[in-house]
Amino acid sequence: MILSHFTALALFALIVSTVFALITKNEPREQFRYGVFVFLSFIAVAVVVGWLMYPLPLSGYRP
Amino acid sequence: MDHRNEQTESAHKPAPVLMKPMNMPVTLAICSGGWLVPGLAHLLIGKWVRGLIFAACVLLMFGLGIGMHGKLYDLQFGDPLDFLGFVANLGAGIPYWVAEHFDWGVGTMSWPSFDYGTKFLAVCGLLNYLIVLDAFDIAQGRKP
Repeated sequence: MILSHFTALALFALIVSTVFALITKNEPREQFRYGVFVFLSFIAVAVVVGWLMYPLPLSGYRP
Repeated sequence: MDHRNEQTESAHKPAPVLMKPMNMPVTLAICSGGWLVPGLAHLLIGKWVRGLIFAACVLLMFGLGIGMHGKLYDLQFGDPLDFLGFVANLGAGIPYWVAEHFDWGVGTMSWPSFDYGTKFLAVCGLLNYLIVLDAFDIAQGRKP
């Protein structure tokens, strides 16, 4: 199975945010809101960190 | 004014219903079951929906990790990171031993998604530890 980086990231974020939401919140509405917040945070942070690392050299990488 | 509204809202909100605390041996038995079979602890407590969602999440993540040719760590004391990886993997319970038995967690470093797969396998074990702790709190009447 080969997933793209973004698909793998999105699946990871979806599963982890679901578990976090169910563990930390008790009301279904709160769980949904917190789950969406954690999911979007995962995606946003990954994209931002990815762009921050973009200018860095790939050590040892020889195309 | 806002403060008063908050007070009124909280007054109308029904108080969360806590379970009557179970005795410790039963709680530990339930938690052990939840560790071995992800989601089982919540099913035994009676939290069906939560248990099924947890089971689906952990097993899906484990399956994706194996499918992405991730690595499952064996018990080794040589490298501390390998040992921590083993502790994380062990959290998945029975699926870990099943995968080890069938050599599914060998890990193919040249596979494009190897690194993601390894992280999926580690994190699903860690999530299961959190799920077991959640079941412990519910069984002890600390949360609804």
